[in-house]
Amino acid sequence: MERINTVTKSFSTRIDKPLDMHKIFILFILSTGMFFSCSKEKNDKSTGDITIQSLTCTVNPVKAWDTTLITVEATGSNLQYGWVANHGDFKGSGKTIKYAAGECCVGLNTITCRVFNETGESSDTIMIRVTSYYNP
Amino acid sequence: MLLVILSIGIQSYAQCCASGNPFISDAEQPALQSKVLTAALTYRYSHSEIFYHDDSRYRDLKFTQTANVNYTELQLAYGITKWLTVMGDLGYFFNKTLHTEGQDPMRGYGLGDAALYLKFNLYSNAKARFNISPSIGMKFPVGVFDQEVDNVKLPISVQPSSGSFKYLATVFISKGIAKKMAIAGFVSYEYAQLIESENFYYKYGQQWIGAIYFNYKIIKNLSLDLQMRNEYRAKATRENNEIVESSGYNVTYFTPQLTYAFKYNWYLSAFSDIPVYKYYNGIQMSFGYALSVRLTKKIDFIAIQTRVKAKKSN
Repeated sequence: MERINTVTKSFSTRIDKPLDMHKIFILFILSTGMFFSCSKEKNDKSTGDITIQSLTCTVNPVKAWDTTLITVEATGSNLQYGWVANHGDFKGSGKTIKYAAGECCVGLNTITCRVFNETGESSDTIMIRVTSYYNP
Repeated sequence: MLLVILSIGIQSYAQCCASGNPFISDAEQPALQSKVLTAALTYRYSHSEIFYHDDSRYRDLKFTQTANVNYTELQLAYGITKWLTVMGDLGYFFNKTLHTEGQDPMRGYGLGDAALYLKFNLYSNAKARFNISPSIGMKFPVGVFDQEVDNVKLPISVQPSSGSFKYLATVFISKGIAKKMAIAGFVSYEYAQLIESENFYYKYGQQWIGAIYFNYKIIKNLSLDLQMRNEYRAKATRENNEIVESSGYNVTYFTPQLTYAFKYNWYLSAFSDIPVYKYYNGIQMSFGYALSVRLTKKIDFIAIQTRVKAKKSN
């Protein structure tokens, strides 16, 4: 998973450069993997008795204005959940949330989940690629 | 007033939830005379719902979305000397709401951006009724940019503040062309600084605004302004300097305005922004229309002093 993250970031920064067949093959394999599981980055900001076990989404990449469900699994008591996206918006609240982004937000977007209670907090991020709705 | 009323019925389009304070179309005025204070309170309602791709309506989306904004702005300006005016404004959003079909609306509200301008009376010829006023300014993201609902952060588009420092330069020129008529215009440039925070990395495109308008005094206390204004905003950039393809636009507005002068230097203006041409990069919700009302009070301290002296001498 960590390797997928690393190469996904690399892909996003180099997408404008010419690709040879070897790279295209690797990207194909990686994008197939991304279809079944969302990329995820571990964040070490953690205090209190909270442990985030997983942060997953149902669809990734997701087309502009389509929805993907993001779910966080965490241990701890009286948990509350906070969500931030650098691009795009959410519907709902709680441990499972709908994420969607319009054409304005095409690209690799970072969604941060913060789980907190009276003892402290823990946060984690997931990267979701939003693809264009319109292909001229 | 008829033009303003008619404009409500015209189906028109412009940018949706533009970030930060909306551009108040009559904001560009010449520098004030020395020791003159103006205070203005503006209320503006805007509505948007139609998506655009390039210069035409985009109909292939499988949902409908509408946006409306209720906004007010307080503006103060003071002529420090005959060649320098200081002006400041502060915006407040009662709501900045995005409704998507079948979903709960997203609503941002609160303080927007503040701005400070220095206006210079570069050239003024009272006899020829000709005036050139350049100005420079800065916008400060003093307002709300991290608004949450149920611990879920709202998107940038409905946050009241733009979250970005912006730098502005404007040149205003006006010329009286008949006893009751004047022509004026301005060119304005805005540069937005990069937003770089824990959660956001975003840079709005540069903005150019050019406007020309005719002012006609209908009767003693009533004047009409007819303005044509073009707003161009370049595409934004995001992480890794990626260009946001569905950002930036070129919109031309027609803005009719009526102003009535009451006793004691009170002025009431009503105006509307009606887009007559629109070009949006990619797919974006386009602006529908805006209706504004402005109340202005002007205080001329030199005139007051003169009156006081005249009373004393009597």
